[in-house]
Amino acid sequence: MSVKAFELVPAVEREQVMGDKVRINIECIECCGKHLYLGTNDCFIHHFLLEEHTTAKGMPAYNAQKLLHKFLGLKKPVLELKAASALERLIVLCDSTITVVDMVTLEPVPTGGNKLKGVTAFCINENPVTGDPFCVEMAVVSARKRAVQICLVYEDRLQVLKEVTTPEQPCALSLDGYFICLALSTQYMILNYSTAASQDLFPYDCEERKPIVKRIGREEFLLAAPGGLGMFANAEGISQRAPVSWSENVIAASVCFPYVVALDEGFVTVHSMLDQQLKQTLPFRDGHLLQDFEGKVVLASTKAVYILVPLPLERQIQDLLASHRVEEALTLTEAAQRNIPKEKYQILYKRILQQAGFIQFGQLKFLEAKEHFRKGLLDVRELISLYPLLLPSSSTFTRCHPPLHEFADLNHLTQGDKEKVQRFKRFLISYLHEVRSVESANGFREDVDTALLKLYAETGHDSLLDLLASDNACLLTDCAPWLEKHLKYFALGLLYHYNGQDSAALQMWVKIVKGDLQDSTRPDLFEYVVDFLSFCSNLDLVWRHADWLLQKDQKIGVQIFTKRPDSEGKRGQLNPDDVIGYLQKHNKALVLYLEHLVLEKRLKKEKYHTHLAVLYADRVLGLMSRPTVTEEQLSAARQKLQQLLKESNLYRVQLLSNKLQDSELLLPERATLHGKLEEHDKALHILVHQLKDSPAAEEYCSWASVNQDQAYRQNLFHQLLSVYLDPDVPGGPQTVAAVDLLNRHANVFDAVRVLDLLPEEWSLPLLRPFLCGALRSSVHARCTSRVAVGLARAENLQLKHDRLKYRGGPILVSEKKGCQLCHNTFSEPDCACLPGGKPVHIHCVTKKALISSISELFT
Amino acid sequence: MPQATRTKKPDVKVVILGDMNVGKTSLLHRYTERKFKDTISTVGGAFFMKQWGPYNISIWDTAGREQFHGLGSMYCRGAAAVILTYDVTNWQSLAELENRFLSLTDTANADCIFAIVGNKADLTDTRIQGPDTDGEQVDERQPVVTCPTSPAILHKQVSREDAIALYSHVLRYKGLEEKACLPADKMCFETSAKTGYNVDSLFESLFDLVLPSILKKRSEGESSTVDLESPMEVKTNKAGCCS
Ligand SMILES: Nc1nc2c(ncn2[C@@H]2O[C@H](COP(=O)(O)OP(=O)(O)OP(=O)(O)O)[C@@H](O)[C@H]2O)c(=O)[nH]1
Ligand SMILES: [Mg+2]
Repeated sequence: MSVKAFELVPAVEREQVMGDKVRINIECIECCGKHLYLGTNDCFIHHFLLEEHTTAKGMPAYNAQKLLHKFLGLKKPVLELKAASALERLIVLCDSTITVVDMVTLEPVPTGGNKLKGVTAFCINENPVTGDPFCVEMAVVSARKRAVQICLVYEDRLQVLKEVTTPEQPCALSLDGYFICLALSTQYMILNYSTAASQDLFPYDCEERKPIVKRIGREEFLLAAPGGLGMFANAEGISQRAPVSWSENVIAASVCFPYVVALDEGFVTVHSMLDQQLKQTLPFRDGHLLQDFEGKVVLASTKAVYILVPLPLERQIQDLLASHRVEEALTLTEAAQRNIPKEKYQILYKRILQQAGFIQFGQLKFLEAKEHFRKGLLDVRELISLYPLLLPSSSTFTRCHPPLHEFADLNHLTQGDKEKVQRFKRFLISYLHEVRSVESANGFREDVDTALLKLYAETGHDSLLDLLASDNACLLTDCAPWLEKHLKYFALGLLYHYNGQDSAALQMWVKIVKGDLQDSTRPDLFEYVVDFLSFCSNLDLVWRHADWLLQKDQKIGVQIFTKRPDSEGKRGQLNPDDVIGYLQKHNKALVLYLEHLVLEKRLKKEKYHTHLAVLYADRVLGLMSRPTVTEEQLSAARQKLQQLLKESNLYRVQLLSNKLQDSELLLPERATLHGKLEEHDKALHILVHQLKDSPAAEEYCSWASVNQDQAYRQNLFHQLLSVYLDPDVPGGPQTVAAVDLLNRHANVFDAVRVLDLLPEEWSLPLLRPFLCGALRSSVHARCTSRVAVGLARAENLQLKHDRLKYRGGPILVSEKKGCQLCHNTFSEPDCACLPGGKPVHIHCVTKKALISSISELFT
Repeated sequence: MPQATRTKKPDVKVVILGDMNVGKTSLLHRYTERKFKDTISTVGGAFFMKQWGPYNISIWDTAGREQFHGLGSMYCRGAAAVILTYDVTNWQSLAELENRFLSLTDTANADCIFAIVGNKADLTDTRIQGPDTDGEQVDERQPVVTCPTSPAILHKQVSREDAIALYSHVLRYKGLEEKACLPADKMCFETSAKTGYNVDSLFESLFDLVLPSILKKRSEGESSTVDLESPMEVKTNKAGCCS
């Protein structure tokens, strides 16, 4: 495959050089700015002015105007011409002699008598070391001389600076700084003429083939190697680039970055220095000379001169891209960096990366494409716009011009291949997903999110719900019809909700639950709706949907009231009375709601407690009247009722008492109610005589005396004991129960009172546990109180001790003794004591305290 | 990715030498592209840039053809490692290493490392046959699977002992003390570019071994020029600052 890197443009026509004289050949060229010099085999120098212009078709063209020609007066060909433009001199090699002529007049100028003779080749140092702008450095080789002469050319003289010997006869050479790159008769070498250090490069038979030694840049040379290779070598003798492969009979070579141009008998070949590939071949017959001058590659046959005009790099890059040679295009672009201003380069590079990305995208090389899009900072909408209908209709995006690719859209790209379409879509999904996560603030969030939503919906991707549930910028107007089209009704609800349209969201979901719309995304959608409403602060919506929900399922439906988060402030707070009023027609839900208020939220309102108790009671009564009721149902209902009756202190006891008093079955409940009214005798009567349940009676005593003092508790237990011992009931006293009671609760009773009560005939062993317990607790009480007394005494003693200690010894006050503060004597026994027991007047102390507090104020 | 090769400058150079047709290009292909593909006899030479951690290693594939023999010294100039490659089914290819190629390494670094590599091991040993992975797998690790499908088993002309002997010749040629150098059994490899056998391990163990050479080159370079792009290496004084 090839690139068009150069255009061959005629510069000097044959007639302009030789008119009609057929034997005249061009031997050498030199080009310096617009000045072109030709040396011919008939010893003439021709001077042309070369004007560049552009044809009507936009092609480069040259127009050469002959200024002068000059005969050098010999019958020898002019072999070499080199311009020394700063000196306005032309250095000429003719008849093995170096002469110097004026650049304008072409007249010979004297060289200070110093003529170089026997010269076979010379070269100019393009990287001079002298630093004198009016001096040209030159290296010269002469016939039959194993040496190189380093010369300096001044305006009016020529000076041989140095001669360095070489191991063999040099044939060709090139100079850079102190380094001379030489073709010797059997090999190439690099010679440092300052240090005389040398470095062999590689063997080459100069007799057999013409060597090429070409300086191509700072300390780097291009050499013809065996096998038609173009080898690169730097001054250290190292090859830093792989060789290019020319034909065996290459005549000349030149570099025009990043290309190596070579001339052989039939062609000009162009290789890239970047990847060593052959890029262009131009047929060219009778090629003779190929040289580059300040970036301009000049080519000559023996009769005419041409210029190889490089095509603009951008154009070459575009050509490469057009033939899908992405890597080469990028390589060339990166190489172009050094020729293009930074800002311009960055724009170019970005664009090439994007184009490269699209080429690879078209080839389904998604990994590479992604990388190039990323590096080229692609406007993601360029990519989205390839997929029909994905960009929001409101998007103002238009593709960049000139276009980054040749695709109309996905259909054009895939030609209807379904499998491919899927692959493209999967790529976009992953790409957008990444874009979203890294550059959320790139300004196109709406476009990205909307496109992503559409793709998810269309492909049934799981992430659709995640997208909608998280922070997103999907456009409602664009996405809603799309979701509807792809039957994603649940997702549509989410979208409405995200856009603050909860009512529309609920409408959608209700329709799905009711079966009006088909979408199986969430099998538990009913629970989802309930949950949604329980968190919904729009009470209107809650009320609007309550009926339907409760009709469908009271137990779950009621959660819209019971599951509401607590701390939501005024807004979204339901008034329980409203709810209770509303729930009248949904009994089951009402019970659940009241349970929520009373048991969970522990509201201390008589109304709710009573209401719940009444509902429990009604339920129990209702169940009892039903013939089919099972034991479990009933006991579960009673369990709830009993528990509430026992644990709550807020319901209206009388009301419930009235409700239950007729029931012969609900005796425990009635006992509890009596207990609440402190009618313990009635309660105990029911428990002992009607229910005959002594454990329940004991438990009752414990329950009823909880939170009461010891005396109350004792009384209650005594009361129970006397009920047991009451002889005036049918069946007589319940001795066994009484004994058990005593033995079990020995420490509650007042033992003396009990002993008085007990019949004489009871045996002692029968009451052994009670007596032991009573005795132990009384002994225990005695011991405890003695300990307490002892401790109190000790504490008292301790305090007395402390007091004495603080008071210290006696303080003696007499009429002779003076006050420490005023030094007057005491006239009265009243005195104050300073720390350490020093007596002072009371008024002195007061004064002192006053002064010290004042002085404290001022410091 | 070829991107890495486009602009970077190499830190160190590895050169593959050996007679034509021993499989130098194939080895490099196998390593860099993870496939075995048709080659043409190399013209001149070529190189590949490998990113190895923070370093760029250039690997030069040279031409084995007699015609290009003269270029060898130049390629070897400044090399940190040389891979001397022969074909296990061709005794002459081993002999050529000593006759023709060894002298090319005179221009390599003084501390250059040598590896002796016998390629085409798949032809003589069924056990290292692996699936032919000409397919489009992007990155499969080396198959070391046993798969005795190769029809013709060729005679193995070069034994491992021969390679080890060559290695000591190389050291002797270089005037190196064998004990002071890397041991022969670590530096003699038998590989197959066709199946991928031992190829990664050859290149990767060599890269690890040239790392010190890179560091040395860097520190020498550092003293004269400041590289603004490479991260500064913090040099710690062994003695520490306060002791
Ligand atoms: N069976 C087998 N054949 C191989 C192996 N490696 C290379 N070959 C074959 O050997 C031939 C030469 O391979 P190349 O890699 O071109 O050899 P080279 O050493 O680069 O040759 P030059 O470039 O001429 O120096 C090709 O036909 C390869 O297919 C291998 O491991 N096993
Ligand atoms: Mg090869």
